[in-house]
Amino acid sequence: MIAAILAVLLVQGDDSTASFAKVLRAVKDKVAPCVVAIDVTRTADPDGKGASGGGNRDYYERPGGPTSGTVWTDDGYILTSWFNVSGDVKKIVVTMHDGKQYEAKRLGYDEAKDVALLKIEAKNLQALPKAKFDELKQGDFVAIIGRSPDREVVTLNQGILSALGRFKGSAVQTDAELNYGNVGGPLVTLKGELIGVTSHIKPQQPWGQSGGVGFATKTGEIDKIFEDLKKVKAGGVSGPVAKALWVGALFVDGGEGVMVQQVVANSPAEEAGFEEGDIVQEFDGKPVKTAEELAKLMAEKKAGDIVPFKVKRKVKDKDVIKTLKAKLEVSPN
Amino acid sequence: MNILTAALILFAQDAKDVEKVKELQKKLHDVIEKVKPAFVFLGGGSSVCIDPDGWVITNHHVAGEQKNIQLHFAGGKAYTGDVVGWDPNGDLSLIKVKGGKDLPFCELGDSDGLKIGQPVIAVGNPFLLGNENWEPTVTHGIVSALHRYQDWYMDAIQTDAQINPGNSGGPLITMEGKVVGINGRIEVRRFNNRVNTGIGYAIPSNQIRRYLPHFKAGGKIRHGYLHGVTLGETGDTRYENVGEYGDGIFIAGIDEGSPVEKAKLREGDIITEIEGQRSYNLNRLHGIVGTWPPGSTLKFKGKRWNKETKAFDPLEGKVLLGDPEALASKDAVVGNLDFGFLPAFDYDDFGVEVDEVEQDGPAAKAGLKPGDVIKKVDAVRVKSWADMKAELSRKKAGQTVKLEVARDGKEMNVDLLLGERKADQ
Repeated sequence: MIAAILAVLLVQGDDSTASFAKVLRAVKDKVAPCVVAIDVTRTADPDGKGASGGGNRDYYERPGGPTSGTVWTDDGYILTSWFNVSGDVKKIVVTMHDGKQYEAKRLGYDEAKDVALLKIEAKNLQALPKAKFDELKQGDFVAIIGRSPDREVVTLNQGILSALGRFKGSAVQTDAELNYGNVGGPLVTLKGELIGVTSHIKPQQPWGQSGGVGFATKTGEIDKIFEDLKKVKAGGVSGPVAKALWVGALFVDGGEGVMVQQVVANSPAEEAGFEEGDIVQEFDGKPVKTAEELAKLMAEKKAGDIVPFKVKRKVKDKDVIKTLKAKLEVSPN
Repeated sequence: MNILTAALILFAQDAKDVEKVKELQKKLHDVIEKVKPAFVFLGGGSSVCIDPDGWVITNHHVAGEQKNIQLHFAGGKAYTGDVVGWDPNGDLSLIKVKGGKDLPFCELGDSDGLKIGQPVIAVGNPFLLGNENWEPTVTHGIVSALHRYQDWYMDAIQTDAQINPGNSGGPLITMEGKVVGINGRIEVRRFNNRVNTGIGYAIPSNQIRRYLPHFKAGGKIRHGYLHGVTLGETGDTRYENVGEYGDGIFIAGIDEGSPVEKAKLREGDIITEIEGQRSYNLNRLHGIVGTWPPGSTLKFKGKRWNKETKAFDPLEGKVLLGDPEALASKDAVVGNLDFGFLPAFDYDDFGVEVDEVEQDGPAAKAGLKPGDVIKKVDAVRVKSWADMKAELSRKKAGQTVKLEVARDGKEMNVDLLLGERKADQ
């Protein structure tokens, strides 16, 4: 993305390249004190497993080293992506911009919005001013500031606001590169104002990390649940959250019915043997013609149910019918 | 001075810097505002309306040849449409919106005018994220490379504007708000997770524009090629006086009566340029001619070795794409063989599709039917008519060839007795 901006500037034939870089540097310097590094010691980490399910170390597995968080209040509340601090956690250490380290308590989290609240015993921290959501526009230049892998130096990724309303309006989407190091850090405007806390890049999600599809849970959404997050002293969901069921296959309307466009790595669909291009004909014995019909039928089930899908698949130019049994799970989105 | 300017100045040292960034920001906002209404959500992918009467272009792998497709313009307004023309090899389908009138559209730009490094945006529906509120995703990047040959994307624009599964069929757009490509292909990560790596490919708008009348006329689109010629790449050490690799392509052999012969080309001639595009190797040559419909006549430039001066003389002329006879009879000639069917001429990977079967001819007697796809000839895999032609050209009239044929998803074997073609056939 920075390359894109530089190119724009070069095409214009002036010294805008330097101007854009200067503005970005100023944003980085302003935001850096509000970005922390988070080191987590775990005894178990089911969320951090990659496509191989942890059998082999791979690109999608959560790497070692710190990840990032955003200072939310001056009295020691830190927000981050729930994914960053999930699992059986023994210890969380937060490193500030000046190198001071604090052991953090994990308070409440909201899995659907992919945010978690940490508390450190510190005062007079610097928190970011919040952007006014209704002043944001699709296409706004934005930046993500992270603090990983070097706790002393921040990272800067630049992009645009790709969309304003994602996940039922709880998040914005950006093409600024988001990965396992900077997730949890702030998404900011070029004024250095906080748009949201970056989130939603678990390895089980089809877009994964740094594919140009990243998200930030909006500050207004966090405000709504902040008091609840504070009340939960030892983890737990911040409140009942209605979530869709999924099997980890992306169902779309194809030529002859409901087509599997994508199978998420390490998902129930993969386990059940779904393949891209499969046409779903029946769900639990009931015929389905559209993705919407399938979603409605799935919504009538509950998490943990194992349900048969009748699918048609082309094998060497021949149509074969298979019944695949997949376990319905709560959608990670 | 507005709030943005004031706030930026607080920490950017120079107001001039802020002004410049603001200009860029405004351009980006303006182009998004202009083009977004023409974006169309379509099944598992994306598309764009290029005409107020409701002509919508997308990838063939998104819309295929479907009728009564549900379309949602950005914002959610719903329409239905039919695919009118389709191009499996070029990966494009053109849809007509039913009752479409005064629809928001985004016109096709000039993809030959693109420059490497030029900023572009991609509008799309990656991972179907926009289906809940009909808000498309906008990503921003540059033109990374031009004229990439990527299998059937023979003349692709490469971009680092992030495109992902679901972006397929969506537009690549310049800062002037013109559609310069249809995004449809990406280089992906390992482990089969289909996620962008900064390399996306778009089908150029000029290719689309050249085929547009064919799409609107309806049916399947076929691509141009140089017929009846054997080509080599310059620098081939098996040949003399064929220049250095990258100069162009050279004529290694010419079939009698071919358009190349009619273009007064001779064996050994080097073609360096077609329609102003450098034909520096075979892939690029295919990339140029393959983006023109068969029957097009294209200008070429080249050079011819002069034995006396021991130097190249310049050369130029015009050449017809495709075989004129085959254009009428769908290119079904192999020497003097009579096999009694017409192939659906294309380069795809699925074999040779039988288009028409001549009554009482060899194919009809063997039981071949239109729509049959020939996969193997005497146990040799044929991926295209060109492959099959190569196999058949080894045979003689009176011989029987064993064909492996797919029909309605089933495999079957057919014995085809080759006849001799009469002079008037």
